[in-house]
Amino acid sequence: MRAGDWAGLVGASLRRERLGPWLSALGVGLGVGSLVFFVALGLGVGHVVRHDVFPQDARRLEVIPPAFSLGGLLAPARLDEAAVARLRALPGVQAVHRKMVVQVPAACWYDGDFFGHRLRAGFDVFMVGVDRRLVEGDVAVGEFEDPKPGEPLPVLVSTRLLELYNKSFAPTRKLPRLGPGMLAGFEFPVQLGRSFMARTEEAVSQVRARVAGMSPAAPLEGVAVPLVTAARLNRERGHDAESFTSVVLVAEDPGAVPRITEATRDMGLQLDEREKGAAEAAGGAVALVTGALALLSLLICALAAFNIAHASTAAVRAREREIGVLRALGATRRDVRTLFLGEAAVLGLCGGVLGTAAAVGLARAVDRLASQVLPPFPFQPPSYFLFPTWLWAAGVGLGLLAAVAGAWWPSAAAARVDPARTLAG
Amino acid sequence: MISARALAKRWEGPGAEGAPVLADVSLEVGAGEFVAITGPSGSGKSTLLHVLGGLDRAFEGELRVAGQSLRGLDDRALSRFRNAALGFVFQSFHLVPHLDALANVALPARFAPAPVADVRERAAEALGRVGLAGKERRRPSELSGGERQRVAVARALLLRPPLLLCDEPTGNLDAASGGALRTLLQSLHGEGQTVVVVTHDAAMAAAAPRELRLEAGRLSEVRR
Repeated sequence: MRAGDWAGLVGASLRRERLGPWLSALGVGLGVGSLVFFVALGLGVGHVVRHDVFPQDARRLEVIPPAFSLGGLLAPARLDEAAVARLRALPGVQAVHRKMVVQVPAACWYDGDFFGHRLRAGFDVFMVGVDRRLVEGDVAVGEFEDPKPGEPLPVLVSTRLLELYNKSFAPTRKLPRLGPGMLAGFEFPVQLGRSFMARTEEAVSQVRARVAGMSPAAPLEGVAVPLVTAARLNRERGHDAESFTSVVLVAEDPGAVPRITEATRDMGLQLDEREKGAAEAAGGAVALVTGALALLSLLICALAAFNIAHASTAAVRAREREIGVLRALGATRRDVRTLFLGEAAVLGLCGGVLGTAAAVGLARAVDRLASQVLPPFPFQPPSYFLFPTWLWAAGVGLGLLAAVAGAWWPSAAAARVDPARTLAG
Repeated sequence: MISARALAKRWEGPGAEGAPVLADVSLEVGAGEFVAITGPSGSGKSTLLHVLGGLDRAFEGELRVAGQSLRGLDDRALSRFRNAALGFVFQSFHLVPHLDALANVALPARFAPAPVADVRERAAEALGRVGLAGKERRRPSELSGGERQRVAVARALLLRPPLLLCDEPTGNLDAASGGALRTLLQSLHGEGQTVVVVTHDAAMAAAAPRELRLEAGRLSEVRR
């Protein structure tokens, strides 16, 4: 049978059935819609976790000295310039960025105007020196250099810290929310050699710090300063200024990462995977909940398929004479089977399209409701859902699959109908 | 047109498995003949028609219809044969209820192996030929019994098959409609159409120039 004739017969048959088949399509749509909705929710939340809360770059590794080593006998215990040179020489490494923690305790006691509000606050200042190239693009040229005597320390604040401040700290303390550009140039006092959290014997000196910009590379729990500044401060106070706290390796492509990882471990160094572990843990929790809800939705799809199987079986019984007539007029068994499968496929396609569209509509309604009802919170996305093209296709495809699977055996039974028996009398 | 040798068939349904339905039936029908097959209820008339029409494949003996041996044909070949060589008219009309008269008549063209040109025009012409011009858009439920049967005849004639097989075509019709159908079949015969009718209807049998009688599964010529 040609496609046009097939489509004509399928269409005519579906037009005859006013309600029953469309209820079956509704069942398919319900299953598909719930599946697409929950998968889109999982994708959206997972995207926020991976890109905003714990941003991951597949090309980057952070190398740290080993937590425990046998000194210089078996492996380098320090991440010094020699180790950095060896890391830079590894095949597949495109760039190397050093980091050095400022080991001098530092604290800030702020009592003054903060963007139109009186602020009194005391906190320790954790400073990490970073290579200039690690933050280029986040700060203007010349703004992130070791300062001359008397000039403020240039610091970079984490973009994630700003998000936490804006969505959590500022609302509870009734402080103003800040845009990324507003904080640039803000100065605050820093007491070197002082800490609110630990006793220290170091001499206290007063400096000023000035926010040079925002950077995702800055530490969440502190600020980034130029690497040269960090080394200078450590050297001036008698701390180790030759070893780096960590080194960020940028691979030429993600495929080179396993090889670099192996070579790094062969050098007796470790990878700092705390962020990656946290991202994986959070992503895993999201995936687990999404998976459970998706499984529930798949069960609804399976029930819809059973419903179509039941309805198709009843339809085959009710239409035995019609099948006999078609066979008498020249329809092959295959023609009869494809007619029944075609009817189910159209219902499945309609259910898949309706379900997917309903999921998108519901997601938009949820986003709108959330923006009106939920208070602001850190990393709040504009939408909690992601609908990539493949999800649309999968939704429609699943509807089709469920319907065709449901009609598979009934259509075979239809093809086996004996025309001589049904046309007798 | 039909050449049957020693056709035999046994009952396969529940209750009387293995009982003979057709026994040593031999039959020759030439092109352009109009043959009536009569016999009492349960004599196997409809079964014989289904065998001749390739609807029932479980038979013994040799059978050639329209130059084609029906033994050993697979489902696809047999379906193609029914589509091209045969037109069926049934007692219960067997129109597809959700299709209008024109679509019912055009139905065989949907299963033809090659596209049929001007199907709608041909279907409308076939309806006109059986006296139903102007009723193309009517559904079977909107037609009388006689009109439904004429739609069935138009459907059977759409692809101009060499052989028309009719199973009790007047069985569900009143006298007037039955008479009109007899006249129609005679007219078709007059145009050269080969027609085989299985019937209880004495008037229909009388309308056919040749009558065969099937009793206890055996076929005999009725001498007039």
